[in-house]
Amino acid sequence: MAQVTKVLTAGIGEANLRDIGVYRERGGYKQWQRAIRELQPADVLDLCDKSGLRGRGGAGFPTGRKWQFLPKDKALRYLVCNCDEAEPGTFKDHMLLEEAPHLVLEGILLGSYAIACHHAYIYIRGEFKRGYEIFCAAIEEARAAGYLGKNVFGSEFDIEVTAHRGAGAYICGEETALLNSLEGKRGEPRLKPPFPAVAGLYGAPTVVNNVETLAYLVPILEKGAQWFAAVGTERSKGYKIISISGHVQKPGNYEVPLGTTVRELIDIAGGLRPGRTLAAVQPGGGSSACIFEEHLDLPYDYENMAKAGSMLGSGAFVVFDDTTDFVKAAHNLVRFFAHESCGQCTPCREGGHWMERVLERLVHNRGVPGDLEMLDRVSATITGINLCPLGDSIEPFLKSVLRRFHDQFAERILREETLPA
Amino acid sequence: MTGSGTSEREQNFPALLERLRPECEQLVARYERKRSALLPICHLFQLHEGFVSKEAMRAAASMLDLTPAEVEGTVSFYTLFFRRPVGKYVLQVCRGLACSINGAEDLMAYFREKLGVGHLQTTADGTFSYEEVECLAACDRATCMQVNLEFVYDLTPQKIDEMLAAMRAGTYATSPMAQTEAPAATWSVPQDDQVATGRKSSGALGQPSPNNAGGVGDESGIIMLDRILAGDVGFYERTSERAVRDSRAVTEVVEAEKNGGNGASH
Ligand SMILES: Cc1cc2nc3c(=O)[nH]c(=O)nc-3n(C[C@H](O)[C@H](O)[C@H](O)COP(=O)(O)O)c2cc1C
Ligand code: SF4
Ligand code: FES
Repeated sequence: MAQVTKVLTAGIGEANLRDIGVYRERGGYKQWQRAIRELQPADVLDLCDKSGLRGRGGAGFPTGRKWQFLPKDKALRYLVCNCDEAEPGTFKDHMLLEEAPHLVLEGILLGSYAIACHHAYIYIRGEFKRGYEIFCAAIEEARAAGYLGKNVFGSEFDIEVTAHRGAGAYICGEETALLNSLEGKRGEPRLKPPFPAVAGLYGAPTVVNNVETLAYLVPILEKGAQWFAAVGTERSKGYKIISISGHVQKPGNYEVPLGTTVRELIDIAGGLRPGRTLAAVQPGGGSSACIFEEHLDLPYDYENMAKAGSMLGSGAFVVFDDTTDFVKAAHNLVRFFAHESCGQCTPCREGGHWMERVLERLVHNRGVPGDLEMLDRVSATITGINLCPLGDSIEPFLKSVLRRFHDQFAERILREETLPA
Repeated sequence: MTGSGTSEREQNFPALLERLRPECEQLVARYERKRSALLPICHLFQLHEGFVSKEAMRAAASMLDLTPAEVEGTVSFYTLFFRRPVGKYVLQVCRGLACSINGAEDLMAYFREKLGVGHLQTTADGTFSYEEVECLAACDRATCMQVNLEFVYDLTPQKIDEMLAAMRAGTYATSPMAQTEAPAATWSVPQDDQVATGRKSSGALGQPSPNNAGGVGDESGIIMLDRILAGDVGFYERTSERAVRDSRAVTEVVEAEKNGGNGASH
């Protein structure tokens, strides 16, 4: 069986990593000190680039490349760490924030140094009130130890980190909506371009990175770019925390090399319940299409998930066994997106609710002839014509299960003779 | 609701504001632009008043050089800000997919039966507000919920019974929310049959969509109408003027980018 590795998750559940003393005993803040004392920002950027690290927030964009988009001639720039984790099925950032806040902070410091940012922000989901308090305490501990503030370790480098708590809105995970929210506005996505790298927070060049992405900078600095690039598959390098949930016996966060097979991931999480068979896996969060039995031996990485018609996304891996009612499941996710639509784009705003209502009819066995065709038509129509990817996230799951479990949908349609007059 | 006379809370507000002002100023100082402090300031007032009151929004507006309407326009976007009084315990049960396939629907039905209210409603005694929320990022510990934003994992009917009893007795581990005003009866949202019989989770018919923001029992339009009926139109003053200014600010940034970063002119 494939092995579970412990890189970011090392010590979680064993030691109280919230305590800066404990974190330091385990080598914490050594890389930060080394970066300031021995490395140039360009060295950190180069290490990150060579490691092949790709964004862990959903899109999988190469992190080093993203940093290089910052205009060279502008000194003012921001790093914003995205801890708004609300993609259905994802719960890794929540864990890192609460269990390893200093690791996250050290990652933010390293990222800031790499792009020469002097004021970094972390946007924490409003529901993570406890996590926010833990992180604020970590910032204060680090400040007292001289790891942030003016002239860190006696160098010329100043860095401030501010934690900002959201107030309930999935869309604020989208980077430009996040920036609006951080500016004290409604969390509505902005039109791109300009991209945040050009005009982001307060109009200045900005990099938005996921919590897990930034946290991986710490082990990459410690063990080298080669160490990271040596694991994984050709274009999906290194390790990833996979949030496995649904119908498995031991749901949880498991850190594995990218390229571990889908079957192995299910086994790692304790397998299915006795006597059950697999119906589907949603491999990349609520926005992703399902994969099925025939995909069990695929390596779980960005390329293979895309080839299977889905995506790896944030690494939320939800397993469904043969007891699943996929009409209800589809209704659940469509309702989620309809509820979380910010309302700027008509297709996303209206289409989502329309589909939700049709699915609600089906859930209650009151579908009318033509409903399934309508679902197909509406979902195809609203996809690809929205401001941000949320509007395009409504279709994939629905479409994949509507094809595969067509009978479950079809039997919810009222027959002609029973239709109300 | 909009009756004559001022409530005790309203009378206490000026003193509260003076007490919180230093903390608000600290919050403002954490950011490079004032307006960024809006969410933190609203969190602070909600902590003390139990909701983000009209007075709090006005105060935030004047501290941040915004109009009250800009503040309310922003506050109403976010589901964790309540713009009217809510129960002492806000029970937010996860209806996300991972919880749902692990029995959340039965537990939500159980909650509705025990509380006698549905999604987005508050009990008549003002103790509980009940809401069914999206994935709480704790799917490995399904089914789960938050009580005044503290997590409770692995729910069972027995756990729910114990929890509700402890809350009623005032012995529950998580402290109640501040409640400076009794939640109004108008919080009730009509439920359809299936909700009443406890078999359906989306209970709030007639909710304004798509942005059903504003949290437990939001009825944005009604809140605004209330203000206008009460002759409180001043709340929306200067709105159009600001709207023009804001969009100009954005265009300036973009224009400045195009012109090779020559600062925006005013
Ligand atoms: C609707 C929507 C929600 C998102 N939510 C999150 C989130 O909760 N956390 C996150 O890191 N990225 C989220 N993203 C992706 C961000 O926009 C952004 O790509 C990411 O934070 C970049 O970080 P990375 O390059 O390190 O992955 C979301 C995107 C969309 C469209
Ligand atoms: S696609 Fe939906 S969520 Fe995204 S900007 Fe448009 S309306 Fe808002
Ligand atoms: S579905 Fe309930 S916490 Fe994710």
